[in-house]
Amino acid sequence: MITTDELQINIGPQHPSTHGVFRMLITVDGETVVNLEPVFGYLHRNHEQLAEVNTYLQNMPYTDRLDYFNSMANNHAYALAVEKLAGIEVPERAEYIRVMMVELTRILNHAGAVGFMINDMGAWQTPLAFGIREREKILDLFEMVSGARMMCNYFRFGGVVRDIPDEFIPRLKKLLIAMPAYVDELERLLRENEILLARSEGIGILPREVAVSYGVTGPVLRGSGIAYDIRKAEPYSIYDRFDFDVPVGSVGDVYDRFLVRIEEMRQSRRILEQIIEQLPDASGGHINPKARQNVRPPVGDAYARVESPKGELGFYLVSDGGPKPYRYKVRAPSFINLTPLGDMCRGYKVADIVVILGSIDIVMGEVDR
Amino acid sequence: MSTTPDTSPSPRDLLREQLATVLPHTLVTLPDDLPELIRTADVIVHADALPEVVPFVIDQLGYGLLSDIAAVDYVEHGLFELVYRFYSIGGGGDLVIKVRVPREQPDVPSLLPILPGARLHEREAYDLFGIRFIGHPDLRRIYMWDEFEGFPMRKDFPKQGDNYIGEGA
Amino acid sequence: MSNDTLTHSITFTETPATLTVVVDPTPQITRGRAVVVERRRPKAAGWSLLQGLGVVVDHWRKSFRKLEDPTQIAGTFTTEYPEERLPLPEAYRNMPILLFDDATGHELCTSCFQCQRICPPQVIHMTQAKDPETGKPVPAVSEFIIEYDACMSCGFCAEVCPFDAIKMDHNYELSTADHSSLTVHKAGLLRPVSYYQSIAPTFWAEAEASAYKKLEANKKRRPASIGIAPQMIEQVKAAHKLGDGQPEAASPPAPVATAPAPDAGSAATPASNAALATSEGDLPTDKAARLAAIRARNEAKKAAEQSASPAASAAPTASDGDLPTDKAARLAAIRARNEAKKAAAQAATDPAQPAAEGAATALATPDAPLTDAPPAPATPDAPLDEKAARLAAIRARNAAKKAAQAEEE
Repeated sequence: MITTDELQINIGPQHPSTHGVFRMLITVDGETVVNLEPVFGYLHRNHEQLAEVNTYLQNMPYTDRLDYFNSMANNHAYALAVEKLAGIEVPERAEYIRVMMVELTRILNHAGAVGFMINDMGAWQTPLAFGIREREKILDLFEMVSGARMMCNYFRFGGVVRDIPDEFIPRLKKLLIAMPAYVDELERLLRENEILLARSEGIGILPREVAVSYGVTGPVLRGSGIAYDIRKAEPYSIYDRFDFDVPVGSVGDVYDRFLVRIEEMRQSRRILEQIIEQLPDASGGHINPKARQNVRPPVGDAYARVESPKGELGFYLVSDGGPKPYRYKVRAPSFINLTPLGDMCRGYKVADIVVILGSIDIVMGEVDR
Repeated sequence: MSTTPDTSPSPRDLLREQLATVLPHTLVTLPDDLPELIRTADVIVHADALPEVVPFVIDQLGYGLLSDIAAVDYVEHGLFELVYRFYSIGGGGDLVIKVRVPREQPDVPSLLPILPGARLHEREAYDLFGIRFIGHPDLRRIYMWDEFEGFPMRKDFPKQGDNYIGEGA
Repeated sequence: MSNDTLTHSITFTETPATLTVVVDPTPQITRGRAVVVERRRPKAAGWSLLQGLGVVVDHWRKSFRKLEDPTQIAGTFTTEYPEERLPLPEAYRNMPILLFDDATGHELCTSCFQCQRICPPQVIHMTQAKDPETGKPVPAVSEFIIEYDACMSCGFCAEVCPFDAIKMDHNYELSTADHSSLTVHKAGLLRPVSYYQSIAPTFWAEAEASAYKKLEANKKRRPASIGIAPQMIEQVKAAHKLGDGQPEAASPPAPVATAPAPDAGSAATPASNAALATSEGDLPTDKAARLAAIRARNEAKKAAEQSASPAASAAPTASDGDLPTDKAARLAAIRARNEAKKAAAQAATDPAQPAAEGAATALATPDAPLTDAPPAPATPDAPLDEKAARLAAIRARNAAKKAAQAEEE
């Protein structure tokens, strides 16, 4: 009598498709996954303890390195948390600049995420190159404004470090002219593609009823059909001045999340157009002149969250009145979005695991901190 | 920072009022002369009352999205504080429940049977602070390797040097 | 760890009783709607594959045209590196550099420690210059070290500097096989203001007026040649006849002009700290010989002018020395000069000492070989005559010897 046995295999930590140093311990019966357990910690840099040693301003470049794909969003969340704690106001123009940067980051991230997800499906580098192409143009804009492509370190408490140069808006306008064509092309390449459908339809379903219990946020939650977007649910900064839609999925599978991300790119473009129209002139000031960067907030705690491209990114700060945070906690979306990974993958094939992981869109800098 | 005027009670007041009527034994009243660092206006509940309070918050009050479980180490006052943060899918601000446990015996009932989303939060709090979650079927370290001794985010864990072995080394 | 300790197994076929269903309340969305994304199926079998292929072929066709404009989405854009380089925006920041004034050679840095304090990874280290006579701190920096290998290029140092002395460079070609050369010292960090102006004209234009105003105020408080960049010392001295006494004049005579100035790679091998930013043209290529030649050149100058070496070395922290105003010391120096002239023909021993003493300034870092040498003859008062004379004699001997050797090569 031939019996079969279950095999335990590691996917990762060195693996081209695990979006960083991420290890999954899977138990397979043949090709079908019986159990999946994610193992983290390979990129753990004890960022939270490091933050207790640095002052509030010195922490800003370290927040860039959390979700290193979207550094502007991390900066934004941290700046909001410190401003809430210390009671610092932000001038209008600075708010517009901030939202502009964050929405550009969202386009960046989704283009890259879609590209990488399809790369993992085996379409190799072609769709990835199409996705990265927009990234390059936006990264050039970031370099013009903040000095670095990825580790921007652009936000300060009370505004941003310097105003946008004169050539920024014309270049952004040119990019926005080209943007619909970019997104349409990416979509046309992939949307009705049978191979993509076969590999993503019905895979990795997270049902609507349980999605919220898992604490997931961002495109994963919206792909499951719940239209919860922090920019609409609890508007921060100036998001209540813009018109944009919230795309949701219906089934909650990988295909839905892919479509949600493509649609969010279009909505971000819509917001950017409104920003360019409404942008106040330069006399508004790019930073609150009364805001001290070596801030000593009063004793207390504050939590501020933003809708980062990956989900809800929040910073919880506890101050003891000194120049350094007493407790600094990062609520990382990629980390929490990995909670249902094991359950989402059960019953599918090994090849589907990588696709499901790609659809959750994680970045290990955030997961491990 | 919403610009729409909010006339309904804040989640904190709503919670306090509801708990006072429905589950009064769970609330903790703080003495008035607390040191500034651990003074808070948020709702504090008894640790062992969590399995009652959280389903109440989720089902009755409608705050079903557990966003964050943050652990804070107040070493001079000898306690750990866990901050549970809930949001409602309908929108709005956060509802915060704080739980304080003594540092020598940091035992808190786990939320995992109620909310699967608490799994990774609780493992992180265990790994970095040493807070034991009773009823968590799989309480293992998550960032540090399994043989690691000590809890890195505690305030008495050394911030320099190689000598990390042992708690409070 | 076995898998049966893993938690609940959630099956999605039905909703288990323990999971709370939190679909209500529904999200309220203003100024927009919740839009359900449209899932499509291909119109005909294989149609979308052809469509996708069409996109690729389209790009291939258009790739023969060069991309000129950000609105074009198809085309090729190639920069043939290293013959061409992409232009960098002004705000681009890579590693920090220090600035010195082109005309006077004065460094803008006053050692106020603001950048050291703000640096998140704490890679900046500096020592304040002291007046060699009074010992009081002077608004100049005597040694400045940045560990390039740990610098995160965040730009905070440039942001907080009140004197516009430290700025972010644009140079990204810093790869080197010599790890220790990534700990860059002051001479490797210094660039003329004209260089920074060429890479970031708008930023410098905003900062120029106040930076120069502050520099004028600081120059008044800097005695003699403290605070002058090593690259410019010779030039400045020649121009202003500041007098002699530069134990660390073991720097090249040619000032570093514009752009690719001393790059970090060739910068600070420990032995050549003093020989940084050399004008390579007239020196032999072999490192030891080059060092020797540089030393010879300096010693020859010193032997000719007869530096007041005791007084100069009496300020171990200062990178500059002074002709002592003290009469006795001056007399001793003159005597030493005469002795050296007499002793020029004698045989020598221990060549390394005098040069080492000159190069070993306030380097707190382990630049081992140089600092092995004991600090040179001590105070301006003490038994100057013999020691100074002996020292000068040794120097002159070595100068002659090395000059001869250099000539050979």
